[in-house]
Amino acid sequence: MATERYFEDVRVGDPMPELVKGQVTEVQLVKYAGASGDFNPIHTVHQVAEKAGLGGVIAHGMLIMGFVAQGITRWVPNRCLRTFKVRFAGITRPGEVISVSGRVTGKRHEDGQNLVSCEVTARNQKGETKIAGEFEAALPSRG
Amino acid sequence: MAKVGYEFAPHSFTIERGKIKEFVQAVGEDNPVYTDPQAAKAAGYRDVIAPPTYLTVMDNWSGPDFESRCRELEIDPLKVLHAEQAYEYRSDIYPGDELTATAKVTEVFEKEGKTGHLLFITTEKSFKRRNETVAICRTTTVVRN
Repeated sequence: MATERYFEDVRVGDPMPELVKGQVTEVQLVKYAGASGDFNPIHTVHQVAEKAGLGGVIAHGMLIMGFVAQGITRWVPNRCLRTFKVRFAGITRPGEVISVSGRVTGKRHEDGQNLVSCEVTARNQKGETKIAGEFEAALPSRG
Repeated sequence: MAKVGYEFAPHSFTIERGKIKEFVQAVGEDNPVYTDPQAAKAAGYRDVIAPPTYLTVMDNWSGPDFESRCRELEIDPLKVLHAEQAYEYRSDIYPGDELTATAKVTEVFEKEGKTGHLLFITTEKSFKRRNETVAICRTTTVVRN
């Protein structure tokens, strides 16, 4: 669980603790399809994924974004999150191991909020980027 | 073809704790603020909360399904991939919250990619609890040719 993190204690360049996820499995894709309601068959049915030219089933981009969200809300509490956006830079297949890392890129005061901007990345075990994103969190001040 | 300004039919959804639990288990998210009311209270929430990407559940389970969306946008489901996703958060979301979503197409553009012609479609969706906007979501899909 994320502990309270104060604006004054965060510096530009600080890393977010890395989150290393377990291997993505086909069963996980079935579970995520059911949980999220995204039944696009390219995530669960091999023949369809082949026909789509993907060479086999691929993970839901939103599952990998969920991994990134997990990494973020370990570091800052969920309620501090103001914006979170990602670009899906590469497809993820069962068997890959995803790590989420991030870094503080800016700090500013805006509309009475103490905002921290961060970049976040999800990569596989070979260092290939799957998600490149950023988020902003409003942190409390020691004031 | 998808046109800027096209509006999807609004849809409503009640946030449920069991569905949140199913979702975080699928992701492998172990933070107890999403599943354990006591842990959530200890962390300053009044109950468990929905995690940051949870609204995708509402998109899929209460809105039109993937095939219907593709038909509405006149795109081939086999050619579609998710390109970008962005959220703006304005409030915590709790079990029991009744949310209504309205969505429209805000941008359509074409580009020549390394692998051929690409069509990008961005949809903006606003989630309201009564009259309060709790989140805004922008989804960009890419249609490969």
